[in-house]
Amino acid sequence: MSDEHQHPPAPMVDEVSDFEVLEAAVRELAIEKGLFSAEDHRRWTEYVHTLGPLPAARLVAKAWLDPAYKELAVRDGVKASLDVGVDWINSPPTGFGTPSDYCNLRVLADTPTVKHVVVCTLCSCYPRPILGQSPEWYRTPNYRRRLVRWPRQVLAEFGLQLDPAIEIRVADSNQKTRYIVLPVRPEGTEGWSEEQLAEIVTRDCLIGVAVPKPGVTANTKRPVRPAVHPVDHHH
Amino acid sequence: MSKIEHDRSHHAEKATGIGDPQCFHGEAGPAKFKVGDRVRIKNLPDLFYTRCQVYTRGAIGMVTEAVYESPAAEDEAWDNTESPEWFYSVVFRQQELWPDYPDLYANDTVETEFSERWLEAV
Repeated sequence: MSDEHQHPPAPMVDEVSDFEVLEAAVRELAIEKGLFSAEDHRRWTEYVHTLGPLPAARLVAKAWLDPAYKELAVRDGVKASLDVGVDWINSPPTGFGTPSDYCNLRVLADTPTVKHVVVCTLCSCYPRPILGQSPEWYRTPNYRRRLVRWPRQVLAEFGLQLDPAIEIRVADSNQKTRYIVLPVRPEGTEGWSEEQLAEIVTRDCLIGVAVPKPGVTANTKRPVRPAVHPVDHHH
Repeated sequence: MSKIEHDRSHHAEKATGIGDPQCFHGEAGPAKFKVGDRVRIKNLPDLFYTRCQVYTRGAIGMVTEAVYESPAAEDEAWDNTESPEWFYSVVFRQQELWPDYPDLYANDTVETEFSERWLEAV
């Protein structure tokens, strides 16, 4: 057998990251110590996977239709969430949120001259009770480092190019507040019902990297470009 | 042999049915800053743990809201919940944070939160 081109075989599963190893180790220690049971952990994991962005889309649609509700949403996001079926305070598993789901939702209302976009530069804080699990790109160092420094360039990569006159306001979710964006209701939606409006408020619109458009009901794929200096894993 | 038992459930007992940070309401005393105040972010030591971003240190911003009361992250990381502080939302002009941010986009801003210890009046 020739020694030329002896590449190691492709891994059967994706590499397990250091953080996944750490999570498993801490989880197993916590179970062993009796802080929670394996059954508790299974229930919580299954619960968080039932969550998604639909309640937040409904919150936005309701706010577009009802100025009094919009005022409430901006003033007290936790209270406004109750009307779309999300109880930040009494939800499982703890009844007081979790260390990353504190009970302080702030709804950032866009105007024709201010566009909000959300990031967590320190980790990946995300309003999970009302948006579900964050998309993979939201957690990447690439998005977290660059959005706060070059927001217009990053938004352009998502296909959103904004007039220089519009103020882009980046909300960096670094403490106990979680944010969703309440975008401006687009033209061409006159006379629409709450259900029709909610359909065009995608997860990306709620993070702020997209704006709602009539007829667009899905997140756009973020283009993946090859690295300028790719890392060779086979040294 | 004596063993110091740490009470792991005191936070759960305090916050259940009330919420966190709501459960610290009223514990921080009067707020030092008000909406519209100009503040500078201090460059305090941050050994072990902080949630004050390095990119904000030394920058001047404006308080948009006194948001809630809570132990500072630097304390809470060690389960020290004895002295809650007011937290503030502060908005910065991007050009204040990144000196080469283009003049064309001078309107752009960043908003983020700080516990009171990180702020000083300008």
